[in-house]
Amino acid sequence: MDAVKTVDLQAIVRDSNVTEVLDQLDRELVGLAPVKRRIREIAAYLAVTRARKQLGLEAAAPSLHMCFTGNPGTGKTTVALRMAEILHRLGYVRKGHVVSVTRDDLVGQYIGHTAPKTKEVLKKAMGGVLFIDEAYYLYRPENERDYGQESIEILLQIMENNRDDLVVILAGYKNRMDTFFSSNPGMSSRIAHHIDFPDYSQPELLSIAGKMVGAMNYRFDAEAETAMGDYIGRRLTQPNFANARSVRNALDRARLRQANRLFAGVGEGALNVTAEDLSTLSASDILASRVFDAPDSAERT
Amino acid sequence: MMTNSNQRLTQGQFSFLPDLTDTQITAQLEYALKKGWAIGVEYTDDPHPRNTYWEMFGNPMFDLKDAAGALMEINSCRKTFPSHYIRVTAFDATRGVESPTMSYLVNRPAKEPGFGLVRQEVDNRAIRYTIHSYATDKPEGERY
Amino acid sequence: MSNDMSDAPITDGKKRYASGVLKYKQMGYWQPDYVPKETDLIALFRITPQEGVPADECAAAVAGESSTATWTVVWTDRLTACELYRAKAYRVDPVPNTGHGTKTEQQYFAYIAYDLDLFEPGSIANMTASIIGNVFGFKAVKALRLEDMRIPVAYLKTFQGPATGVVVERERLDKFGRPLLGATTKPKLGLSGRNYGRVVYEGLKGGLDFMKDDENINSQPFMHWRDRFLYCMEAVNRASAATGEVKGHYLNVTAGTMEEMYARAEFAKSLGSVIIMIDLVIGYTAIQSMAIWARKNDMILHLHRAGNSTYSRQKNHGMNFRVICKWMRMAGVDHIHAGTVVGKLEGDPLMIRGFYDTLLDTHTPQQLEKGLFFEQNWASLNKVMPVASGGIHAGQMHQLLTYLGDDVVLQFGGGTIGHPQGIQAGATANRVALEAMVMARNEGRDIWNEGPQILRDAGKWCTPLKQALDIWGDVTFNYESTDTADYAPTPTASV
Repeated sequence: MDAVKTVDLQAIVRDSNVTEVLDQLDRELVGLAPVKRRIREIAAYLAVTRARKQLGLEAAAPSLHMCFTGNPGTGKTTVALRMAEILHRLGYVRKGHVVSVTRDDLVGQYIGHTAPKTKEVLKKAMGGVLFIDEAYYLYRPENERDYGQESIEILLQIMENNRDDLVVILAGYKNRMDTFFSSNPGMSSRIAHHIDFPDYSQPELLSIAGKMVGAMNYRFDAEAETAMGDYIGRRLTQPNFANARSVRNALDRARLRQANRLFAGVGEGALNVTAEDLSTLSASDILASRVFDAPDSAERT
Repeated sequence: MMTNSNQRLTQGQFSFLPDLTDTQITAQLEYALKKGWAIGVEYTDDPHPRNTYWEMFGNPMFDLKDAAGALMEINSCRKTFPSHYIRVTAFDATRGVESPTMSYLVNRPAKEPGFGLVRQEVDNRAIRYTIHSYATDKPEGERY
Repeated sequence: MSNDMSDAPITDGKKRYASGVLKYKQMGYWQPDYVPKETDLIALFRITPQEGVPADECAAAVAGESSTATWTVVWTDRLTACELYRAKAYRVDPVPNTGHGTKTEQQYFAYIAYDLDLFEPGSIANMTASIIGNVFGFKAVKALRLEDMRIPVAYLKTFQGPATGVVVERERLDKFGRPLLGATTKPKLGLSGRNYGRVVYEGLKGGLDFMKDDENINSQPFMHWRDRFLYCMEAVNRASAATGEVKGHYLNVTAGTMEEMYARAEFAKSLGSVIIMIDLVIGYTAIQSMAIWARKNDMILHLHRAGNSTYSRQKNHGMNFRVICKWMRMAGVDHIHAGTVVGKLEGDPLMIRGFYDTLLDTHTPQQLEKGLFFEQNWASLNKVMPVASGGIHAGQMHQLLTYLGDDVVLQFGGGTIGHPQGIQAGATANRVALEAMVMARNEGRDIWNEGPQILRDAGKWCTPLKQALDIWGDVTFNYESTDTADYAPTPTASV
């Protein structure tokens, strides 16, 4: 009598080291709790699908194409890289690389130009993940003869026929993506997973700033950290705010001001600087930002 | 009909083996990609041994990570030219090579008429030889 | 090593150039502090000293006799920049596993540096007249062997190098990604031109890329050269038409005079041959001349190393074959027989790999285990295609591919012509075995271990291969090599 066939689900997870990637995602990305939950769900689903396949339960390969929506700087690209790694480790893509493109990489300028361009990108992405940022620009209903439609059709064909060869992730603002899907039902029906990336809160952004400064081999002194918190609080109410990206830009400018400050110090007789001087950002480096000038003056992201 | 042992054109590095399956082609493509070589797909209906320049089915493919993209082109070429000779060529850009490093057929016509030898007798028993492809008696595109 | 004051170089001009006989060390041919220049040519000799002669004096003597010295002091040295022209022995190491407690008398590796101006640009003859001219008969050494040379880029640039080179040869033949296949026409002697061409036709039509004249097929009573050329080219062209491939036959143009060799080469060209052949015994100058002719006439130049074993085989005297490889790459041949590892002729696997690297690398690092004593920059000289010939058969294909790689001509003479179903079947067996093995290797299979099975599997659908394996599958030539690398492996420091 045959024993009931079993498959070791834990072994699948363990052997693929997929938890390692999930933990890495937890460590390197602040906040984003709903996103992380969805990624864990997808990883579990993929592991289960593989287990089902081992027991002969699954017929067709699951559709894995995804859509990441959210404002700029909310971690979509980083999550796409980790997603590619998860897909690779669980055996859903063979190589696990990410090819990141926008409309300009896919759509040509004249007749006959678009198909080879799109195909070239698709060929390079095979075995990995094709990440199309601001995918809705592919579709321009105001121009009847826009070549974007041609690119969409090739994408759809490959997304359907080459499921084993690549996974497509579309990314962009939520509302525009919704509009895009409503006029491109073919695309909508081929996307299996939608993940929405929320904006970061002020404390989350401050924590992100701390990680970024560390990665640049700098540090805040105590007042600077407070100043950075104030800065973020002001900045996120202003136009063109781009979450983590705005924080990074602010830090780049703070480093410029720090360098200026150190140079000015040399002029005033402080000839020797220590490693600590060179790596400390002080409150003045941040408070000099125009964000603090007047309530309305917006600083460029 | 060709009268050599396998009764077919034997250009390329695997012509004495049974026709390659897509799985076998994929393995050869992966070998080339691992070495960092670019992959070209070329077709012709004039397989003369001195016909160096077969038509390119697009430029050679650089920076591919996976064989699937190249296989897609091969299959697309087969669909467009089902009765032509199609070969895959790998190109190595390394200093000291800078030349093809692989070449194998992935498609051939069902009937291969082969080549005739035209002899021109000249002085002192010497002979000038011309290899003539029977297929090229017809115009391009109508040969196979 | 003795280093007493009496042997030290004499710097006082009056004493140094006084008439009489001095030790070579005293004359300044031993300079342990000398650092070779980029432009120096360096030679490494294996020295077996006469009883009682210290190793450094011996090395100095070799340096002296291969450069400016004669047996006695000559005042005319003082009319020259003799310090420059003097070769400098600068290092002597005992050879591992020789001397007391071994079966071999004590030997030494001596490093000698030569200034570039000692040599005429672009002349192998001149370079060798110095380096191996007189010194091998010199009484102070019991035996002497030239093991390796470092040729400076400046000197390499005065040579044409291979007329065609591996890359262009493959482009001309339209054959990539696998070793080339050849066979030597057998029997070596006695076939008429008509019968000879038959063997060529069968081999090429069956699947070989090349057929080959043997080294002693020139123009004998049983077959004069014009007859051979005409019948062979008929065979080559018929086989090319039958297969749709470019085919070739190495037409041996070796003859008694340069005039005759040029005449034969011109005739080969007029018949449309892609390749001609010469033997090493025609001499270095003749080889260089034929290489220049071959470059000018778009001809591949095959060299048979006839005669080399008279001086390359014994370990204590003569010269190592890797030196011949270097000289022939400079002289400009496109093919050279360089060993099979597994066949009937001499060859240790690592030593043979060293020869192949010397012929094929653009830049060779020092690798003592392969007998490569010097780093060698090849200064963009073309690559020479090594040829593996002698006692090899289809059953060894996995070993041949592993040892020798893709850039080689595998020549199966007996292994083609001796096939029970005929020459075409023999050629087909070899070609199928080769293609199956290359495909398997590219697929990532472990051909060293799975090789025999891969061949048997191919034999299931290719009867000629099955028959070849049945007859020759177990034939091996397991003799110990006489020429192996002598080096003490340096233990890597543990961290």
